[in-house]
Parts: sequence; structure tokens; C-alpha cells
Amino acid sequence: MSATTAVVLQSVAYLALVLFASPLLEGVMRKVKAIIHSRKGPPIIQPYLDLAKLLIKEDLASEPGLIARLAPPAAFASVLAAAFFVPFGIGAPARSAGDLFLFIYLITLSSACIMAGGLAHSSPFSHVGSSREMMMVVTVEGVIITSLLIVGVSGHTGLLSDLTATPFRWSFLLGLVCYLFAMQALLGKLPFDIPEAEQEIMEGPFIEYSGPSLALFKWAFYMKQLIFGSLFFGLFVGWPHLTGWGVVGSLVNFVVNFAAVLVLSLLVVLVDATNPRLRIDQSLRFFAGLIGVALLGVGLAAFGL
Amino acid sequence: MAEPQKILEEVGSRLGEKVLESRRLEASGAVAVTVDRHDLPAAAAFLDRELDARFVISVGTDLRDAGQGFRVDHIFSQDVRKTWILLRAYAPAEDPAVPSITPEVPAAAWAEREFQDMLGIRADGHPDPRRLVLADDWPEGLHPLRRDVPYDVHPEPVSGVAPPMAAPPGNAVTIPIGPFFPVLEEPTFLKVFADGEEVVGLDYRGFFNHRGIEKLGDSKLTYNEVPFVAERICGSCGFVHSTSYAQAVENAAGVEVPLRAKYIRSIVLELERIHSHLLWLGIAGHILGFDTVLMQTWRMREPLMWLMERLTGNRKSYGMNLVGGVRKDIPKEQHAEIIRVLDEIEREWRKVMKAVLDDTPLLMRLSKVGVLSRQDARNLGSVGPTARGSAQPIDTRINHPYAAFDRIEVKGVWKESCDAAGRTLVRLEEALESIRQVKLLLSEMPEGPILHTFTEPIPAGLEGVSAVEAGRGEVIHYVITGEDARLYRWRVRAPTYANLQALAASLKGMSIADVPITLGSMDPCFSCTERLQVVDVRSRRVRVFTPQELREMTRTRRIPAEGGQ
Repeated sequence: MSATTAVVLQSVAYLALVLFASPLLEGVMRKVKAIIHSRKGPPIIQPYLDLAKLLIKEDLASEPGLIARLAPPAAFASVLAAAFFVPFGIGAPARSAGDLFLFIYLITLSSACIMAGGLAHSSPFSHVGSSREMMMVVTVEGVIITSLLIVGVSGHTGLLSDLTATPFRWSFLLGLVCYLFAMQALLGKLPFDIPEAEQEIMEGPFIEYSGPSLALFKWAFYMKQLIFGSLFFGLFVGWPHLTGWGVVGSLVNFVVNFAAVLVLSLLVVLVDATNPRLRIDQSLRFFAGLIGVALLGVGLAAFGL
Repeated sequence: MAEPQKILEEVGSRLGEKVLESRRLEASGAVAVTVDRHDLPAAAAFLDRELDARFVISVGTDLRDAGQGFRVDHIFSQDVRKTWILLRAYAPAEDPAVPSITPEVPAAAWAEREFQDMLGIRADGHPDPRRLVLADDWPEGLHPLRRDVPYDVHPEPVSGVAPPMAAPPGNAVTIPIGPFFPVLEEPTFLKVFADGEEVVGLDYRGFFNHRGIEKLGDSKLTYNEVPFVAERICGSCGFVHSTSYAQAVENAAGVEVPLRAKYIRSIVLELERIHSHLLWLGIAGHILGFDTVLMQTWRMREPLMWLMERLTGNRKSYGMNLVGGVRKDIPKEQHAEIIRVLDEIEREWRKVMKAVLDDTPLLMRLSKVGVLSRQDARNLGSVGPTARGSAQPIDTRINHPYAAFDRIEVKGVWKESCDAAGRTLVRLEEALESIRQVKLLLSEMPEGPILHTFTEPIPAGLEGVSAVEAGRGEVIHYVITGEDARLYRWRVRAPTYANLQALAASLKGMSIADVPITLGSMDPCFSCTERLQVVDVRSRRVRVFTPQELREMTRTRRIPAEGGQ
């Protein structure tokens, strides 16, 4: 087996794992939320059923424009591409193809697609949602990139796969806190689900989407949960991985990582279920403050603290 | 000397010859003052400003049968002196018009538009004379509450008619909230004008599901059928409406209701308020995306619903009231159970209160949101927790005591913060106060009959007024008795009618994100309707499901065959 074949095979396996494992996270989160609510909740496989249902439904297009049609697949594709830079317990196929900035660009691109999709429609709700998304991106992505930089500066590397929070530095604690808050917002969870805000603007940028287009947006969000969860462990926790053992070893590593992400998801859903939605101005002030904290972290990291 | 008599004399000395006639409605705690129609604005301004009487509602009545043309009553409440004041004027049948009092008393804006629509009595000089209640395709000149219009008139629907609504000011964008919107369980249309995220204006169109219940009550139903229909005015405060109606008729007829029945009414009313406040807090949580609050408060509410089912036979729409008393006793054996359920709710509610008061993000979403100044709350006629959250010390249980509330001490709850947080705190504390009241009422409840026995029919031409404090605020019913055990006129004002008129004032300058919670903090209720209509888009065939079919659907989870069981 040549090296190219191996990479291709690895990529295909990676693709399948990311695509088909991520809705499970969402299913577990919904179940946990239901328990907090004293509800029975949907079965854990509900997100798979939702995606399947949406994918076979008619795609009702209220706007014939190209941007409106391309936004969902583009958002989906950019998140999927970003996934290739993140180690899910197993080595990322695109580990040395780009650094953390490329990763952030891809994540931002998916947000930009959501915004563009919202603005391509004439509903005032999607416009309000898009403008909120824009404000969120500016602040939240500032926070996440700064928190990644804290680890990057310490390790003198920009490659996501090589970023690791060992040996321990105090600045990592600041990075960790900032990362967790930013992750909550990037995943569209309360108290930061402001761009969608069902009760205020009826899902904002997604209001005009249905069927497969909506499914792609939703799937992109499910993948983000796996991506940011895994990245958290890769960055701030890091534990020894099984080496050797071929495919079995990789699978074990993936499953261990996935289980860890599930545990982290409990924290995400706990915050989600115990908070009201903030207003956009309150959220902006909050993340502006966090950028300050994260920059302080970078400063400390630069001095080796 | 009694307050109503003193008020009559003050009005007489101040308005002098303008008063054409004045009298007392003894049992209702009301006075009626008749003036020439052209003196209405001046008299209304006097009541509002000098007598400090709060505008409540207007009643238009078609008295052409009796050769008296049309009558307009503007009902005011002097809360401190516990007196209703009916300011009335007549308009001849050939010129059905009165001068508008809205320029003097802004709270009258909707009430005057309503009698314009429903009775065709023009309010000359009204600043916004657009239709309020009638559908946009309803024919011009057909006024449903006129007595010569049958209750079941069905004009042909006309398509393509839109309400005349304001255009957004300047560069503002229109954000349509409604007619159907996720957090509005009922249809209404708020045209919100926004500049970026900031609300700069508002226009309103509602009454999409007007069911013509008043018309039904004064043409079709008999005295003791009305309570059951009155209960359907609102799904969550139905007992409030049936009590208020029954009391209005009892006041008109001078019927003495047995004391035990009064206690039972008070107990059921307060249990209904507790349920209403629990329900509200859940919805408020949901509006802010805080569904844990929704789920937990509704879980807490459920034992209360079961209790009500055991006490009355129904979870809601209790069917307990008749004119003259109640249909079902609350025997001693049930007291312990009521207290047990209330104790459990109180225990959990205190935890909820603590959680809410300690929750910084939640308070951030409520404080300084939906600000309604004291002045606006007073001048726009706000009632209930909406008014009490803006430091208005008005509570019908205190201002116009009814049922058994003159026998126990009612502690009014009001807050100074004039925002959604204030309205929330009012409800949180009121639920506890209601629990205390129910326990007190249970312990003091006297023995005796629960229903007045009528020996002769209620005479025609008598008037009665009665208000009841619902969870959302003051509900008022006004009746004129008629022939054949039927009302001549039945007028209902639900609290949302008053509170919604303050919405524009409390939304100004807020963010779009605050619109749902501002509206929600008033606990709005527009049109409770349980009706399922299925339209086949291909054949355009409409099928309306009956209550029996809906019940069957909820039990079998299958759509029942048409026309059969």
C-alpha cells in the first residue's frame, strides 16, 4: 500500500467518522437536556432521524439566487474541511497542510456562509439574524483564536495537531476558560444562541431554509460540536494515545476521545439549560471582556508563564 | 355618608348643570352620571384629573327599542374610594355620535373604537378612528351589537383586504411579529418598526378571532347559560369571567349570595391565580430561551390541575358558577388535600423565587426592559401585575372587594421598578399571597347553602357592574337585565385589552430582542381558541374538527373518520 493510498483511506475513514458520529453527540445532549427539564425527551438517535427526514424532503426555495442555494453546502463543506485539521484522538489527515489560522478561517467561512444565506433572503428576521451572527463572529472568533494562540505561543507552533498544553503553564487556565465560553457561542448554545433566537427572530438566518439545505446547516453544527470538543481535549488536556495496533488502535483512540467529548457536552448542555438568552449587546460586552482576558493569557504565555 | 353618595355630590357641585341625571347602583358600588353628549370630554377630564378616577372601559348600548337612541357609558374607577363611576350620555338614533374623550383620556382609545365598530356610534375627534374589532372585510355599516342585527349574521368573506397600517418612520425596517409567531400562542399582529436592533415604533392589528360572545350573551343565551360561555372567554382565567358575570347579575338583581358560596368562589379564584402565575413564569422563561423554567414550573402546576379536577370536575373551565352561587361544595374532607398540594407548591415556589432572584443573566434580561413609567401605566389604563409592576397600587380585591375578599385581609403587592423585572416579582410574591389566602379562607369558611334560590324572575332594565382580579389584572363585566331570563346587554373587558394599549409605550427604545419578553411580561391573552381546521390545499375543502373529535384524536392519536365517532 502506497503512502497516498494510506492517506486517502485514512481520509475516507475520517470523513465517515466525523459525519456519522457527530449527530450522536447532539442526541445525547438533547436527552440530557430533557432530563434536566423533567422530560422524557426524544430517543438518542433522533438527530439521525431528523437529518434523514430533512434530506428526503423537498427543498423549498423562497429565493432563487445562487448565494441562497450555495450557502448551506458551502457552510457544510467548510466545517468538514476544518475537521481534517483536528485530531479526534487519531492523527488528523491534514495535520501539516495548514495552521490554526487556516482552521479558524474555515470555521469563520462557515459563519460567513450562514450570514450570506441569511442576507440573500428578504425576510427581516434573517437579516436581523445575519447581522447578529456577524457581531458574534467578530467577538467570539477573536476569543477562540486568542485562546489557541496562548497554547501556540507556549509551544512555538501553529499546527493544530501539535498544539498541546503540556507542560502546564498558568496562562493555559485563562485560555481554557475563554475557549469554553467561545465554544458555547460557536455551537449556538444558550446563553449565546442569539443569531438564531427562535423566540425572538424565529431561527434568524435559517428561517427561509428547509429540507436538505436546512439539514446541511444542522449537520454542520453537529460536526462543530465534535470538532470543538475534540480540539479542547487535544489542546488543554491531552492524554497518551494508543500507538500501533493499526486500525483497532485508531478506533480505540477515537472512541476514547469521543467519550471525553460526550462528557464535555454535558457541561455545554448544563450551561445551555440553566441560562436565559443574553441580548446581543450584553453578549458583545461579555466577549469583548474575554478578548482582554485571552490577550493577557497570550502575554503571559510569551513570558513563559 | 357612603363614598358613592359623596362622589355623587362632588360631581354635582363641580359639574353643576351639566349633570342631567345621577343615581346610585347600590349593590354594584357604582354611581351613574348622565351628561349631555357634548359635555362628555369635559366631564371625563374632570373625573380623570380632579377626582383621580381611572378610566376602565366604555359601553355602547342600543336603546332604540325604548326610543332612547344610543347610550354610551364611560366606566371609571375611583380606586381609593372603592366606587365605579358610569359617565353616560345619549345620542339620538338618527345621529349616532358622541365627542371622543380619547384626547383627554388616552386610555379610552380602544374602547371608543370598539363602540364605533360594534354599534356604529361615532367617536368624533378620535385621533385614530381605524377599525379595531371588526374584520377588514366586514361590510361597512353593519354593526353587530345593534339589536336589529341577528347574532348569526355571516357576511360573505372578501379576499384581498388588508388593514390600513402605519408605514415605518424614516429608514426604519418593519419586523412583523405575528399574526403567528413562536411565542405568541394566539394570533395577533404587531408591526414593529426597528432601526437596527432598536424599536422606534409600533402599530397593532388584532381581534382576529373575535367570537362575538357578548352578542351571544345578550341575544341567545339565558342567565344561567352565560356563565359556561363566559368561562370560555379565557382558557386560563375562565372562573374569573364566570364569577365576574354572575356577580354583575347578582348586583343588578340585588341577590344576596350565600356566604359559603362567596368563600368557595374566592378559594377557586385564588387557586386559579396560582395556576396562572405558575403558567406565566414558565412562558416567560420560554420566551427568554430558558426552557428549564418552563418545564419545571409547568410540572409544579400539574398537581394543581389535578386538584382542580377533583374539586370541580375539570382541570380548567370549572363550570362551577351560576347566578346566585356555585354548583359544587368544597366539603371538609377535601380541605386537607388542598392544603397538601398548596404546601408542596409553596415549598417549590420559594426555591424558584430564590433561583430567579439569584440568576444574574435572567435579571439582566428583565431589568430595565419593557419600561412602563408610572404615568403611562396610569394614563393608559394598565391593570393587574402590569400596573402593579409600575407602582400602581391597584388590585380589585382591595379596591372593589367581591366574593369573600371583604372578610379577609388582602396584601397587595406592587413594585417600583416599572419594568419586566417588577412585573415578574409582583407575580412571584402574589402566588405566595394567594396560597396564604386560600388557607385562610378554608379555615374561616362558614357552613350553609351554596346557591341562592330564586322565587321570582329577575326584572328587566336593571344594571350591574362587577370586577374580579384575574391573574393578568382586572376583569370587568357590566350587564343590563332583559326579558325572558336573558340579558339586554352584556359587556366584558378582559385585562389584556387594557394592558396591550401600553405596549407601544413600554417598547419604545427597547431592542428587538426585548419585544417578546416585554409583551410576555404583560401576560397577554388575545383569543383562546381550541379549534382545529384542516384545509386540503388541492380541493380547497375545509374540515373543522369538533371537540369530540379532538378528544378522540388525543386519546387514539388517529384522525377520526369524518362525520362519525
